[in-house]
Amino acid sequence: MLTNYTISIFTMNTVGLLNRITIIFTRRRVNIESLTVSETERKGVSRFTIVIKQENREFVEKLVRQIRKVTDVLAVFGYLDDEIVFNEIGLFKIATPLGGIPVDVKTINLDWNAKIVHFGLDYVVVEKNGSEEEIQEFYTYLKKWEILEYVKSGRVAVGKTEKGLVEFLPEEGNWEIV
Amino acid sequence: MGQTQTQTEAANQPGQKKFLSGAQAIMQSLVEQGVDTIFGYPGGAIMPTYDALYDYQDRLKHILVRHEQGAGHAAQGYARMLNKAGVCMVTSGPGATNLITPIADAMLDSTPLVCIVGQVKGNLLGTDAFQECDLIGISMPVTKWNYQVLDANEIPEIMAKAFYIAETGRPGPVLIDITRTAQTDLMTVPFEYKPCTSIISYKPRVEPKAEHVEAAAKLINSAKRPYILAGHGILISGAEKELNDFVDKTGIPVATTLLGMSAMDADHPLYVGWPGMHGNYGANVLTNSCDVLIAIGMRFDDRITGDLSTYAKQAKVVHIEIDPSEVDKNVKADAPVVGDAKAALQALLPLVNKADHSEWRAEFKKYDDEEYEKITKKDLFHEGDKIKMGEAVNLLSNKTKGEAVVVTDVGQHQMITNRYYRFKKRNSIVTSGGAGTMGFALPAAFGAKVAVPEREVVAVIGDGGFQMTLQELGTIAQSGLPVKIIILNNNFLGMVRQWQQLFFENRYSFVELQNPDFITIAKGFGIAGHTVSDRAELSDSLDTLLNSDKPYLLEIVCEKEENVFPMVPAGGCVTSIRLE
Repeated sequence: MLTNYTISIFTMNTVGLLNRITIIFTRRRVNIESLTVSETERKGVSRFTIVIKQENREFVEKLVRQIRKVTDVLAVFGYLDDEIVFNEIGLFKIATPLGGIPVDVKTINLDWNAKIVHFGLDYVVVEKNGSEEEIQEFYTYLKKWEILEYVKSGRVAVGKTEKGLVEFLPEEGNWEIV
Repeated sequence: MGQTQTQTEAANQPGQKKFLSGAQAIMQSLVEQGVDTIFGYPGGAIMPTYDALYDYQDRLKHILVRHEQGAGHAAQGYARMLNKAGVCMVTSGPGATNLITPIADAMLDSTPLVCIVGQVKGNLLGTDAFQECDLIGISMPVTKWNYQVLDANEIPEIMAKAFYIAETGRPGPVLIDITRTAQTDLMTVPFEYKPCTSIISYKPRVEPKAEHVEAAAKLINSAKRPYILAGHGILISGAEKELNDFVDKTGIPVATTLLGMSAMDADHPLYVGWPGMHGNYGANVLTNSCDVLIAIGMRFDDRITGDLSTYAKQAKVVHIEIDPSEVDKNVKADAPVVGDAKAALQALLPLVNKADHSEWRAEFKKYDDEEYEKITKKDLFHEGDKIKMGEAVNLLSNKTKGEAVVVTDVGQHQMITNRYYRFKKRNSIVTSGGAGTMGFALPAAFGAKVAVPEREVVAVIGDGGFQMTLQELGTIAQSGLPVKIIILNNNFLGMVRQWQQLFFENRYSFVELQNPDFITIAKGFGIAGHTVSDRAELSDSLDTLLNSDKPYLLEIVCEKEENVFPMVPAGGCVTSIRLE
């Protein structure tokens, strides 16, 4: 059975590092389901969140060790879904031509916990946060309108442990808060 | 050239503050790092640095190779002898791509290299400029670290970092891609070189954790049939003495991997040969009979393990290894010890019990006797017309008392050399293991000789591999260093031919060579040599080679269709080893 693994990688902010990290996946023919990079609360430290589907836990452990080996990587964690709090964001651009079905703002807000973030002349942009499945269900609901564009972000996640990032970073660093 | 000179001159005008150019900063960094030798080849994008080198010739010895691949392999040979980074310097584009094979080889065989590579001007990056090539992209999968320098001010720090990363932890190749602009620009700050001693995101563990050492010791002490596989890590960390002390105390039989050869005196009573595809009979078969397998500084390469699902399944595994990603990668460790082999053995020694294991050791002897009867005897005391590779190597071993540095290429002669050369002196093998790079030996032997001119360095090469880098005879001739070259010529790509015979129903597909007259070629380069094909003249021929105080090439015409045994078929179980 395929299991979701979320790999969080903390790195120095170096040019070319994304390439060095993705090579580790492509070389082993692992498909990256999603990838997000952002700066963390510590200055100069970037965080990669990479989601993969794998059958074999041992394989993921080996992958994590290979990533750790990269010179500019500070720390790496592989998580199962129940070990993290995670979310994604979907943006839907929906056609609202004259005479079309009116957008049901109340249902979108209250039943779907989504919101309209932009009103165009004959379209609206709806934003929905949630898990991949929730966004998928919302997509199905929106199908009664013409969907002009749909885009979904990769997963972002934080661990459920008590510790913060700084406790996993090498001690001698001057990990100034942004 | 003109440009740099003008800038340098401008910088040195009276009243002006003296700041180094990037190119001078590269040279000054190398000097302060303690580098004495550069293997290189000039060209457009690295010319400013070669111009700076002109003024540093008294402090930095530059060796002009004949092909950039030769620079890389020579730097590898040098690095392997001295356990410090070999330095090569080449130009952009094709100059740099020619260096990729040695870099990949060094990555697999944990060899420290610092490769300084020219790049087009900063403003031309990404424009497909003349001799532009994305070396950062190309070298990424085969370097331990790489970096593109665009700013001359960065040079001292990056150079220091390059050497630190290349030489510490599990050593490996580092590539520094330096734009022409970063070479010609003047620094805007005074040059200051601080050796790198720590990188926040890179913390190789040298000292093993005490609890891991204790767990390993417990397992070793409980063993009735323990077996040590000692690898390259012993040579890299200089742990030969520690290994000997450990073995003498514990009485555990030791096999060395191909790259770990010479970690132990071949005549040590506890030395049982080498494991792997063409390794020894007992060293392979008994892997599946031991109860505790102690792997030190090795990575369970597939050429050693064969079929992993049947490899040492009965054994508990102690794995001492500096690279954490190698632990549990191929073989699951019951007691992993992450750390430097030397430090780990030092920590283990007081914790292990004195033991004898004579009954267990006697089992190796039984297999040795059988191997001797069925293979060794026939290889060494052959009575046919043609010389066999084994007898030539055996004679070489005797004549050099097992004390030479032996550099081999890749193929049958490599396996035979490691079978029959009886290493007596530590750190004496240089061979291409993980990558199996044909053409490695000639330049690597030269690099080794540059590093340890006081030692006898003998390259043993097949006729196929020799023709891949033979232009380095020019480099050797120009240096005058007495590198001794033996070609074991069987007019075949022997190892491929052997496989075609054994596994492809004798269908010899493009393995027979029409060879040139090697001696004439050597002569053309100004290197003396001769051919021997008669057994009666073999001994004198080797004497001529070894007694020469100049480089010398000896071509030994060998039996054409000789096979190397024992042999574990690729992907087979270690007990499925064939003796014929």
